[in-house]
Amino acid sequence: MRITRDKRLRHLTLGLGVVLAATACTDPTQPGSGGSTEGGSATQGGPSGSEAGSEVVIATGGEPDSFNPVLGYARWGDGKLVEGLVRLTADLEPEPLLATGMPEVSADGLTYTFSLRDGVTFHDGSSLDAQDVVATYEAAIDPELASPVAADLTALEDVEAVDESTVEFTLSEPQSSFVTATVLGIVPSESLDPEPAASGDVVGTGPYALADYRSGDRVVLEGYDDYWGEQPQVQRATFVFVEDDAARAARVASGEVDGALLPAQALGRVEEGGDYEVVRRDSADFRALVLPESHPVAGDAAIREALNRGLDRQALVDGALAGAGRPAFGPIPPEATEYSEAVEVETDAGAAAQVLDEAGWAEQADGTRARDGQAARFTLMYPAGDTLRQNIALAVQSQAAELGIEVEPEALSWEAIEPRMREDALVYGSGNPYNADLSTYPLFHSSRAFQGFDNPGGYASDAMDAALEQGRSAMDEGERVQAYRQVQEELADDLPWVFLAYVGHDYVIRADAWSGYDVPLVEPHEHGLQGGPWWNLPAWTTTAPSD
Amino acid sequence: MVEPPGVDHDGALGLTRRRRSVPIRTGGPGALVARRLVLLPVLAGVVTLVMFLLAQRSPFDPVLAVLGERALTLDGPTLEAMRARLEDTSAVQQWLTWWGNALTGDLGYSTSQRTSVGTVLAQRLPWTIGLVSASLLVSIPLGVALGGWAGTHPGSLVDRVIGPGMLSVQAAPPFWLGLVAVWVFAVTLGWLPTGGATSPQASGVELLDVLRHAVLPVLVLALAHLPWFVLVVRDATRDALAGAPVHAAWARGIPRRRLLRSHAVRPALLPLVTVLGVRVPELITGAVLVETVFSWPGIASATVDSALRLDFALLAALTVLTTVLVVLGNLAADLAYRLVDPRVGQRDG
Amino acid sequence: MLAVCLLVLLVLVLDLGQAGERADFGRAYLPPSLDHPFGTDHAGRDLLGRSLSGARVSLLVGLVAAAVSSIVGVVVGAVAGMAAGRGGGWLDAALMRLVDAVNALPHLVLGIVIVALLGPSLSSVVISVALTHWTTTARLVRAELLALERAGFVEAAVGAGANRWWVLRQHLLAHVLGRVLLASVLMVPHAIMHESALSFLGLGLPDDRASLGTIIEQSRSAVLAGHWWPAVLPGLLLVALSLLVFTVAERLRPESRGRA
Repeated sequence: MRITRDKRLRHLTLGLGVVLAATACTDPTQPGSGGSTEGGSATQGGPSGSEAGSEVVIATGGEPDSFNPVLGYARWGDGKLVEGLVRLTADLEPEPLLATGMPEVSADGLTYTFSLRDGVTFHDGSSLDAQDVVATYEAAIDPELASPVAADLTALEDVEAVDESTVEFTLSEPQSSFVTATVLGIVPSESLDPEPAASGDVVGTGPYALADYRSGDRVVLEGYDDYWGEQPQVQRATFVFVEDDAARAARVASGEVDGALLPAQALGRVEEGGDYEVVRRDSADFRALVLPESHPVAGDAAIREALNRGLDRQALVDGALAGAGRPAFGPIPPEATEYSEAVEVETDAGAAAQVLDEAGWAEQADGTRARDGQAARFTLMYPAGDTLRQNIALAVQSQAAELGIEVEPEALSWEAIEPRMREDALVYGSGNPYNADLSTYPLFHSSRAFQGFDNPGGYASDAMDAALEQGRSAMDEGERVQAYRQVQEELADDLPWVFLAYVGHDYVIRADAWSGYDVPLVEPHEHGLQGGPWWNLPAWTTTAPSD
Repeated sequence: MVEPPGVDHDGALGLTRRRRSVPIRTGGPGALVARRLVLLPVLAGVVTLVMFLLAQRSPFDPVLAVLGERALTLDGPTLEAMRARLEDTSAVQQWLTWWGNALTGDLGYSTSQRTSVGTVLAQRLPWTIGLVSASLLVSIPLGVALGGWAGTHPGSLVDRVIGPGMLSVQAAPPFWLGLVAVWVFAVTLGWLPTGGATSPQASGVELLDVLRHAVLPVLVLALAHLPWFVLVVRDATRDALAGAPVHAAWARGIPRRRLLRSHAVRPALLPLVTVLGVRVPELITGAVLVETVFSWPGIASATVDSALRLDFALLAALTVLTTVLVVLGNLAADLAYRLVDPRVGQRDG
Repeated sequence: MLAVCLLVLLVLVLDLGQAGERADFGRAYLPPSLDHPFGTDHAGRDLLGRSLSGARVSLLVGLVAAAVSSIVGVVVGAVAGMAAGRGGGWLDAALMRLVDAVNALPHLVLGIVIVALLGPSLSSVVISVALTHWTTTARLVRAELLALERAGFVEAAVGAGANRWWVLRQHLLAHVLGRVLLASVLMVPHAIMHESALSFLGLGLPDDRASLGTIIEQSRSAVLAGHWWPAVLPGLLLVALSLLVFTVAERLRPESRGRA
């Protein structure tokens, strides 16, 4: 607890908070604050009477705790405000941004050298040089700041400015995914001393600068006149923070926002109205059941097998997710090159029953199963207030009951969940399409068992550890892909988790006002200001006003 | 122990207690004020100390509290390192530090609102004060009118309906009234916004825009308060009419209207002040619930946020603030009551 | 005693409600019908069953919390009252200042703080209600004890050789118990309101032990989507429950017996 008078602590809390930046696609937790409803379709042309379509109002789910990339803002790049050395394209490929090209990598895979673009200035007018890059990365891995970004940079040992426009990164061990991590937004070195600038003062090199920020309410971005690249046509973007899904839907229904992240349940009404276009995106944002190794029922191979084959994932998506999503079988989405079909199974309740019968889990008079006096029953924890996971837990309960397995959902706070992860099953959510290492290593490596929320079931397998380590350090792409295929095969054999669904992300955007919006092929777990059709806001073009 | 007239009639359904606490012993109003003002810092000190002591015992993990469910996206070793960094200092030490800083004007940093506690208060307090005072401006006149009518017309329809009616209103939680109002006026009829205080397009705080947003929260809060005022005014008016001066005046042939105004309604107004002072805790409770339902950006809704996120800096400041308000409310109630009944000060508590 | 029996009966009747019904997302948000008089919720669960079981949870929390806070109140009041009568004035004064301090806090805010510190669960809700509602009983017991002492017959009995504790216990039971019981029952609706407010704020009972407050909290999204029944009907049940308990308590009040 600890009152944050100590400056270090304040850093810490800031750093912590930023992870909140991303709004995972949870739903009505607490009522959101700020924002409101206003009738009519006051879309374009604010008080400034500017050109139609040059302004946009977007309702997002969560508020970033900071706009400082060093504290975790825009972890996957494209912060609009800030830019990294590289960025990820819609096809998930890295391409240079502030760097003039992709880095030169030394033969041993330990040194990465970037050349910086000329003529780039920060929003405060100062120009970008190698020192800014060095300061940004040093802050990101500074243990004092405890930045969440540090997790992506575990192998980074040293960063040096070779000259004004050349930066050299030295790794302690090869990390094949390192380039993906250099999407980190660069901020001026002066803004990091003595502590990272507060949210309202963050400056970057991006096409937009922070014009107004009201915590709990909104942030307004305005085009940066001296941007090194092309000026965005949408010159003013207001993001209002509305945490509650239903409240956001109400705001779209009243026509007061131009775009929003919406729950699938609310899409129907908006689609019928015809004023908005629905943009639906697949994600790598999975939900899975973590089955603790030591549990007599949930840790049993036959029970796991039965759940894996007997749970109807499509029915779960149609019901609990209201159709917004797709079945998931593993942590790596099908779009990723590393994906292996080894994880896929056909739903077959009969086969599941047979597995249970053969393993001695006999059906009893009341339809439930038991073996040697041990009832086929386990508790399934989910975070209280997370409606999405609650729905999943309820659906799993219903479906498992058909198989004779009693699942008892229990809503708990994360504090209460953590100490119980060794004993009870949990509805877990995570996933990103960019970095297979990050979406597997922390979750399945035995060294990460019970570290924070890593490897919550305590899964330990030598074969898995070897595959994960090989994937992390592989320099050869073929070898790396092969390692992650091996990881998925191990998962399919051991079934430490039962993967259920990738949660779909649905967005609406006012029809006929803009074009050129695109969304990443597959979205990660976190998606807030950076996600959705406004992912490439600077590239939007305004279409001629129809009225 | 002084009991303001009428307070006992409000039924048992208010969310909190009904009796005023601080006993009155001797001395004039000056001594009373002095004693309360001495009590105030002591009380604030004790209350915050208890909070810090409880916090120390709390099983909660502050790192998780700040992170919420996104702790999952954080690297395990990083999380463990953060925890290791948060070495506990003693509760008393924290308490002393907090007060030391608070007295020099530094209330600390609010983790749930991502800014300094001072800024949170400055930004949010006006919204709450506006909401509560607007609701009182509605509920007091309405309460006086309804209660006055019922009190001066015993046995009338209004009088007979008001008792059960007000009881039912008290039995309805304000958050539920709020939801019903949202459903009727915002969702079904579409007349008013569902929540918030300003529109997304509004470039700043525009009066008309805010008024539109304020209608529902103000009316719901006013409705929640209404029963206290109606009942206290009704009973006070009824008692006054039954008193000897009224009978004497009646006998002298003073017109009924003037009689009622000077002898019935006016004496009922002071108990109104008293009940208001005593009801400060309920005012705060109502504000918390109504602000939450309507996403009103006030300080009361921030209380819930700060508790959910274990934001102790803000929680401590809010606790002190509410304590001060309640003590001052009680003081106002006592002073008002003395004006009516000077004997009060002489009684033993 | 009649009232207590009524309440127990009420709990038994409410036991008819089935909370354990499985989710069926195909039947989400069905409006009220003969099959589902209260309609269904977002997970297709019957709201009448959930509301009844929620009402039972609310009532149980109310009863337990009222009982616990009465016990705390009796203990504090008895200690203060006896101390006051026997030269322990400082202890009495200290306890009464404690009563003032607790009263000087908005109970909901205090409850929020307590639940925040202990974590949302059944027991912390009960503790939060109990710790904020004991003061009335404490005052009552203390006042009764002081009145007893003043009446002089304790001194008389002690003078006649009786054990002072024994005397106090006997008289305390005889004189105070009835009033404490009444105060406890009157506290039940308070406790129910307190619990539902906490649950509504997300600080109370979780979904798998839903109370009426939790159900109403979950209905917020439904209301914004235009579904009225998940909020309105359980809310009406909560109002009815509070009024019922309150009426029972009023019947118990000795001075109300004579009135119409």
